[in-house]
Amino acid sequence: MELMSILRIALRALARNKMRSVLTMLGIIIGVGAVIAMVGVGQGAKERAQQQIAAMGSNLLFVGSGTVNRGGMRLGWGATKTLVVDDQRAILRECPAVAAAAPGDGTSAQIVFGNDNWYTRITGTTPEWFQVRDWPVASGSTFTQSDVDTAANVAVIGETVRKNLFGATDPVGQTIRIKDLPFRVIGVLIPKGASAAMGQDQDDTIVIPLTTLQKKMNGNTWLQWIMVSATSRDTSYAAQQQITTLLRDRHRIRPGADDDFFVRNLADMANLADQQNTIFTWLLASIASVSLLVGGIGIMNIMLVSVTERTREIGIRIAVGASEQDVQNQFLIEAVVLSLIGGAIGILVGVGTSLLITNVLGWPVKISALAIVIAVIFSTAVGIFFGFYPARKAAALDPIEALRYE
Amino acid sequence: MATTVQSELQTRTATGAQAVIRVDDVHKYYELGETRVHALRGVSLEVKPGEFVAIMGASGSGKSTFMNIVGCLDRPSSGHYFLDGTDVSGLSKRELAIIRNQRIGFVFQGFNLLARTTALENVELPTLYGSRVGKVEREQRARRALEMVGLGDRVDHFTSQLSGGQQQRVAIARALVNQPSLLLADEPTGNLDSRTAVEIIGILQQLNDQGLTIVLVTHEHDIAEFAKRNVVFRDGKIRKDEVNRERPRASEVLKNLPTLED
Repeated sequence: MELMSILRIALRALARNKMRSVLTMLGIIIGVGAVIAMVGVGQGAKERAQQQIAAMGSNLLFVGSGTVNRGGMRLGWGATKTLVVDDQRAILRECPAVAAAAPGDGTSAQIVFGNDNWYTRITGTTPEWFQVRDWPVASGSTFTQSDVDTAANVAVIGETVRKNLFGATDPVGQTIRIKDLPFRVIGVLIPKGASAAMGQDQDDTIVIPLTTLQKKMNGNTWLQWIMVSATSRDTSYAAQQQITTLLRDRHRIRPGADDDFFVRNLADMANLADQQNTIFTWLLASIASVSLLVGGIGIMNIMLVSVTERTREIGIRIAVGASEQDVQNQFLIEAVVLSLIGGAIGILVGVGTSLLITNVLGWPVKISALAIVIAVIFSTAVGIFFGFYPARKAAALDPIEALRYE
Repeated sequence: MATTVQSELQTRTATGAQAVIRVDDVHKYYELGETRVHALRGVSLEVKPGEFVAIMGASGSGKSTFMNIVGCLDRPSSGHYFLDGTDVSGLSKRELAIIRNQRIGFVFQGFNLLARTTALENVELPTLYGSRVGKVEREQRARRALEMVGLGDRVDHFTSQLSGGQQQRVAIARALVNQPSLLLADEPTGNLDSRTAVEIIGILQQLNDQGLTIVLVTHEHDIAEFAKRNVVFRDGKIRKDEVNRERPRASEVLKNLPTLED
């Protein structure tokens, strides 16, 4: 029997019981829709995390002054005073995998402009920092090496600081006070949003020359961190190795002893975030596919009812020459058509839900073509799998009994 | 074993005026739990082309079992059944389906049409299975079959819009659509009033006149007498097999029957 004829018969049989067909499809619709929407949410989260990590800087490595164990007392990040500007210069000079390096230290302070004040993080660094963090200014300019050399009182402010202190006023050229020192605002950084790794607002910061911070505020000479950018994504692990070897040598750490610094690779963070989001996606998808399974059972249930109801029809078909294969195909295709139509509507529902989530909740949702393809394959498979038993049952009917069935 | 060899010999010799149906010593048992029902106890029968045989018998006489075997819906427990010279008693289910589709037309007591389907589509049904028939030819054949039973003007009517007699005519058209060598009618008039019953028998007589071999199962004597030959079953065996010399013509009988007005 030709496929077209079977399809026509299947469609007509389904059209005969519209309400029932729609209700049966509902399980598949919800299942496929949920899978697509949930995978979309998972993929969206993954993508956003990737973007945020990339936004932190190109091929970024973070060298921090390390934890130290002094007489059984373990002190945290920034406890050592061994990381210095010379280390940064050495890294730049001696590590071939390093493209740029910016030394830095930080503090926090209350900043005052006119009648407004705001508590924020203050980063002291060199002009390379803007390059390493891949963070240009939206207006004004960054400070220069000569500002660092002269320990000038200039500041580049983040978007959050600008919003809170200046509102509608143009901050460039204005003077703010940090720890009672006047600073001239020379630039505003472009907004970056929350950081992927720590979740804090990256825009809530002020950047000033390292020397100004060290000499006029902290009164020290050591660094909290050095931000390094590797020559490429592939060399970031090599850079990590080279920096570690170099710093151990410079800090005269004996083999076997702990580092007094740490090097964190952004690629590691990216991988970690990726892994977490993949797990998250799978979790969502597997919960959603439970409803697909339930939908499939719904199809089987209805097909079994349909076979019983149409026993006589099956008997007639067998009597006029339908083979077991013909009867089986007819019911199998009916189940597949049911689940495929359900799947198609489910895709629309899934895409619609994704758009709704994006627009209403503001979550990034990535509708993946792969999820749609998988949904279609899956719903066909559900139709075949759950349609098979009822179809077998129909094909195995004894025509004599079936014709007598009331 | 002896019967097998014998029947094979007979097949080879009887190539001339080949019988449409030849049943050789057919037995049929059913296992019903512990008991074994012996439905057919050695039935032998030959039906030549162009015959019109009425099979009669009380319920439980084995006539339905016999019909199911002749219709290739069931297989004999032992013995042989030759349809158009082919031994079909050993064929697979799939092969039997092809035989039913190509060589046998069924008419049932309960019409057995598909609901919510037009007369034309009901008649087309057998052409969907078995050999491939194009859409155009399928429809042509179905229309021709419907014209043969006098329903040329009702092709697009749905089953529910047709009277009992008309439904049975659609069923006959469906049986004819693949030009079978044998028409099997199982109590075709059982659900009809007497006038319509005679009308249906009239159609069968006409088709028989055109050369179609018909086997009719009935338990009504006045229906059986329209056939050319009457075979009576009792207790799983043929008890009587006689030629019906003075058979009435349905067309004549109809003239004398009062028309039923509703």
